[in-house]
Amino acid sequence: MNVPARARMRRPSGPGGSLRAAAPPAATVAVPAAASAADTLALALADQQEGLLNCVHCGFCLPACPTYRRLGDEADSPRGRLYLMQAVVEGRLDAASAAFQEHIGRCLGCRACEPACPSGVEYGRLLELARHVGGEARRPGLATRLLLRVVGTRWLARPAMAAARLLRATGAPALVASAKFVPGRRGRLAAAMLASSARGRLPVGETAAAEATTGPRVRPAAAGSAVGAGLRADRPSSDRPPTAPSGRPPTVAVLDGCVQAGLFARVNKATVRVLETNGYRVAPAPGQGCCGALHAHAGDLRAARALARRNVEAFRKAGTDYVAMNASGCGAAMASYGELLARDPELAGPAAEVAAKVRDVSQLTAERGPVAGAPVAAKVACDEPCHLLHAQGLPRSAERILRAVPDLDVVPLANAAECCGGAGIYGLAQPELGGRIGGDKVDAVLESGAQALATGNPGCMMQIGAELRLRGCRLPVLHPVEILDESYRRAGMYKHVRPEPVNAAGAKA
Amino acid sequence: MIPAALVAELAGICGREGVIAERDRLLAYESDGLTAYRHRPGAVVLPRTTDELRAAVRRLSARGLAIVPRGAGTGLSGGAVALGGAVVIGTARMNRILHMDPENRRVRLQPGVINAELSVAAAPHGLHYAPDPSSQSACTVGGNVAENSGGPHCLKHGVTSRYVTGLSVVLADGSLVEFGGLGKEAGGYDLAGLFVGSEGCFGIAAEIEVGLVPLPEGVRTLLAVFDRLEDAGRAVSEIVRCGLLPAAMEIIDGATIRAIENSVFAAGYPTDAEAALVVEFDGVEAGLDAETARARKCCEEAGAREVEQARTEAGRAALWRGRKKAFGAMGRIAPDLLVQDATVPRSVLPEVLRRISAVAEQYKLIVANVFHAGDGNLHPNILFDRSDAEELARVEEASAEIMRLCVAEGGTITGEHGVGLDKKAYMPLVYGPEEIRLMWGLRRVFDPGGILNPGKVLPDGTEPVEDFPCGESSVQERPEAERGDGKRAPERAGLRLAAGLERAGLAAETLRLAGVAAESRMLGWGDGAAPSWPPGVEAEAVVFPRSVEEVQAVMESANQTGAAVLPAGGGTWLAPGSRAGRVDIVLSTARMNQVERYEPADLTITVAAGRAMQRGFPGLGGVSGSAKENLNADLAAHGQWLPLDSPGACAGTIGALVATGTPGPLRNRYGGVRDAVLGLEMVTGDGRRIKFGGRVVKNVAGYDLVRLLTGSRGSLAVITSVSVRVFPRPEADVTLIQELPADEVAERARALANSPLPVAALEIGPSSGRSDRFPLKARFVGSEAEVEDVVERALPFLGGAPPPERLEGARSRSDHGDLEEWEADARLVVRLAARPSLLEGTLRTARALAVELGGQLVVDALQGTARVKVGSPAGDPLAPVGGVPEDGWVERLAEARSAVEETGGSLAVSQAPLELGESIRWTSESRGQALLSNRLEALFDPRGVLAAKRA
Repeated sequence: MNVPARARMRRPSGPGGSLRAAAPPAATVAVPAAASAADTLALALADQQEGLLNCVHCGFCLPACPTYRRLGDEADSPRGRLYLMQAVVEGRLDAASAAFQEHIGRCLGCRACEPACPSGVEYGRLLELARHVGGEARRPGLATRLLLRVVGTRWLARPAMAAARLLRATGAPALVASAKFVPGRRGRLAAAMLASSARGRLPVGETAAAEATTGPRVRPAAAGSAVGAGLRADRPSSDRPPTAPSGRPPTVAVLDGCVQAGLFARVNKATVRVLETNGYRVAPAPGQGCCGALHAHAGDLRAARALARRNVEAFRKAGTDYVAMNASGCGAAMASYGELLARDPELAGPAAEVAAKVRDVSQLTAERGPVAGAPVAAKVACDEPCHLLHAQGLPRSAERILRAVPDLDVVPLANAAECCGGAGIYGLAQPELGGRIGGDKVDAVLESGAQALATGNPGCMMQIGAELRLRGCRLPVLHPVEILDESYRRAGMYKHVRPEPVNAAGAKA
Repeated sequence: MIPAALVAELAGICGREGVIAERDRLLAYESDGLTAYRHRPGAVVLPRTTDELRAAVRRLSARGLAIVPRGAGTGLSGGAVALGGAVVIGTARMNRILHMDPENRRVRLQPGVINAELSVAAAPHGLHYAPDPSSQSACTVGGNVAENSGGPHCLKHGVTSRYVTGLSVVLADGSLVEFGGLGKEAGGYDLAGLFVGSEGCFGIAAEIEVGLVPLPEGVRTLLAVFDRLEDAGRAVSEIVRCGLLPAAMEIIDGATIRAIENSVFAAGYPTDAEAALVVEFDGVEAGLDAETARARKCCEEAGAREVEQARTEAGRAALWRGRKKAFGAMGRIAPDLLVQDATVPRSVLPEVLRRISAVAEQYKLIVANVFHAGDGNLHPNILFDRSDAEELARVEEASAEIMRLCVAEGGTITGEHGVGLDKKAYMPLVYGPEEIRLMWGLRRVFDPGGILNPGKVLPDGTEPVEDFPCGESSVQERPEAERGDGKRAPERAGLRLAAGLERAGLAAETLRLAGVAAESRMLGWGDGAAPSWPPGVEAEAVVFPRSVEEVQAVMESANQTGAAVLPAGGGTWLAPGSRAGRVDIVLSTARMNQVERYEPADLTITVAAGRAMQRGFPGLGGVSGSAKENLNADLAAHGQWLPLDSPGACAGTIGALVATGTPGPLRNRYGGVRDAVLGLEMVTGDGRRIKFGGRVVKNVAGYDLVRLLTGSRGSLAVITSVSVRVFPRPEADVTLIQELPADEVAERARALANSPLPVAALEIGPSSGRSDRFPLKARFVGSEAEVEDVVERALPFLGGAPPPERLEGARSRSDHGDLEEWEADARLVVRLAARPSLLEGTLRTARALAVELGGQLVVDALQGTARVKVGSPAGDPLAPVGGVPEDGWVERLAEARSAVEETGGSLAVSQAPLELGESIRWTSESRGQALLSNRLEALFDPRGVLAAKRA
């Protein structure tokens, strides 16, 4: 049996070996910029001693990592990346070096390594720090900076999103995505992502319709997700039941988000309707905006903190029992506002309070049943968003919602627990590798025989939808809330509200 | 750093992504699972296919660059770290399962496949891969092969080397050799066995074939809680003494329990206890509850405070998760931790634990123990703070002291983590200079240039400066022709030997040398005449040494005089068809027949090689004592047995059994000879006395010479002492026999073999080739309840009318015992092997051969092997007359061989008349294998003194 132990502590034990002989080679001279960057990381590491410095180099995380699995390079594994971070701290590696920039840059940030870690290394947080240090040492590309700037700035985001919607409506992105003659994967992917953000049409599958089932057939837990469930129980935003003060329905504010508000408004609206149908009172939270997750993941912690402060103010004012999320990345980010703003003299406390209220829409609806709707006979495969599964410890989030939809056939999806390659702006930053990872996901989706794919994160919806389009496949990708919403609509539960346009292929096609 | 031109060449082979050469990007490869050692490699190459791997190795070795193979880098001995800028060849991208063959319960895969994922892939077929190291979620099968990994469940199921059945190995020069393989079970040295555990020093496995086993039908897990650690240790011994064989027995001490329960892996171990013992049984549902109840009683009698059974799968999983993540959990509470790995005989566990805690006290350190108690495999963890330099020094000393005390108690320095860099300095604790020198020689056999994983396993400064006699040139210089011509040396070599021995200070009388009347008379030989013993061997002398020193003296003298020595035991194996050429002296170990050490609670026994298996050899060579003094009787007195039912096993000595190494029909249940032998003492062809392995069931210190010697047929060394693993005698032993038509028997046998039922042995025959009905014999062993249930379920497979004959207990045993002696009167024995799924074809071929030669056959339906025997014309009523005359055998055998080889099988001749000896091709050995085997022979026996030839 090979066992992991704190490798940095295990010393050579032979009679000839000396415990002190193990010191790393003398530090190389680091350039001033890198030195200060290293200091930042070192400071951050020192600050996080408990959780962060526990890597014992056991290697259990290697097979959990989508990039290591594809590249086979240990520098592209969580353990290897942590080792590079430590090398920067020790002054043995320049944070501006191509090695550091590339290997840290290639990380999806899916955090699948966290449940695999026996020592409890909080890799996600370390990665953000490393990206921060990397970004300080060498500025990220113009496109990345521009994108982050736009989504994080309301007055820029609104017109940009409007323009995107307009462009989407023209059908040009769809055309570009399917056009073989357009060179460059990046452009086609961007177009395909935009095109795939449009409403997906839920098919009425004959096979599924023919099967007289009274509820969704939920597949057994994938091994990975079961592990995640067992080990993440101590996470701040774990699946604790919402406890409403007695006497009144629990109140909830919904994060509109940046990209969701711009391109997935229908999902936001469906979220509100579904929450209300399940007995929540939805209250507005004016002043809210982008959660800053993309910025944090890209290492721009300064911007992330600024955005977090804005949201903490807004949701504190809203004063609801919960803050509802329909994007997993945003949920994970907001759930860790407490840590992000821990040093903020004014907002540290409120940030932790807001973070404690964060719930994914799947948690909130599941707590109420969810209330069952009308049958939707279709074969649906469910993918697990990394930031629900690994970062928030919420396995089978889509099934939790979809179990309220009679006749829905949830078919198993191979490797559902593996990242789709979306990972924020990964597809654009790492088009080749992102495409490989996305391509594998598409293979699994097509093999599952599903008529639609459900996943609880707009980023994943766009990534998988785009990859499908690039393959010339129009299989719809939906947020599970959209499917439940459709089920409720069919059940006539929305008679008092103006219904959304019909969301089924059967009605239009 | 490696030259840019080479980087380009390698990129041309493995693609751009497959070569990492930039300094910064190599940082992550500085360490494996043991970060105490940090050495940056010169480059990392990541091939995807065998061809890429071969090309890369060829390119690197052409430039004389050192190569370090690496899997997932989870090892805990620094074995995958590249010293001196060596180039790492990683198997991360060689991660495909090449061929899943559920019908034969085999799988062929690339080395980078992850252990746990292999089991996941096999699960849909109701199978799994048994070795389960705690790092199984990440470690690769290739790494497991290199380290001979164990795991908690190896107590019952065995370690990696039991499961590796075939390997394609890329040697240091880029050449590819095949070791073993499905359906290729006949002949040659067990090179696959030698390769497993070689820590990357012999080659890189490009393809690995492993056996899969059915998923257990049921599992029961007990948690026994103790207030004293020693009581838990006693409970383990008690359970073994009861004759129970759990799948796993793990002890977690109080300090570790508290660490686990303070972590997120809390599993519900009681924090006020001083020890928890996890006992797990797996197998057929029917027997489990009774076994669990007995184990519970053992725990209670040993003083368990409470004994609980995991009621749900989740509860069981939590217990194991807590156990397997214990080290990570401990990492959370202690600033620093040193994990040790040592194995001791199980019976000394309480004593060793007491002494370890005394060491801890003496050095004022905290030592937490969590270990595979069933195997005696300890993992003492020393908790400390590295920033305290004075404490650090104490940790070093305490650690070395723990190693020394484990070795002093009959243990070894590593049970499963390997030697690597970390433990090479401890190697002299368990090996003397001769063994270490021999291991250097083994490296040269596989890797003459010394480029594979240099600086690992063997202590620094011990590499001999002289050349080893194992290069190709020296192979040619061996007196092969002299040995092979069957002619006697012009002078009487035996007498020369006698003179040599006298010079060596040993009286000829002591050694009963040639022409010495005493021995000859005892054997009925005439005075002064050349003895003809064993029958069919004409030597000038038979010597019966009483001690290893005497064996050494004989061998040394033979080396001086050039006499050809044929090792023997009781002489039962060297009957007609001995494969020896000229023999001057027969060296029989029959007088070396003492039980050296037998501790029933350890399930191990050490005996001198001449100990008879079942019948003594009173009178032979002046052997004292009676026929009742034999290994089986020794073991039976303690309710144990050695379940090795190889052909001829019961008639000969243990040494002969090991030297021949032929697996018997019970291999499926208990493993073969190669899996039973734990340690060997021997005298090599050039007279060196060496000792490998020991009395512990898990041992990965040094190369696996024990497996190399098993089945080497006396061609490398004279085995003088053997340690074997024994088993509790099963409560019930039942054989069902059904007579079936020839065209039906194979199909029915296959159906039973493919069922998940635990069939201990399944044979067709023995029958005459001409008969049209064959007996199908299925043997079941285990607890009463288990066997009853399994027999009931097996009946439908055997066909109903008339119901099968049922033999129980002693009758079941003796029926198989008869089979062991089946070959005793043979003139010719041929072994055919093929994939078990081709059983029908194998049976057909064997039958045709038996009819042609006028012989009989017997088929092992689980292994898919067949034996064809032609008895002596005289005295064998069964032997039909009218077969092909003997001079036609060579041709018939060649035909049968090509028929078998066409389907991927093999044919080996294990006995043949002396006259035919030279014209028969005995085995199907490939060129690569033959080259390595010749080098091995040159290493062990440089002057070609040993007259025996490898199988």
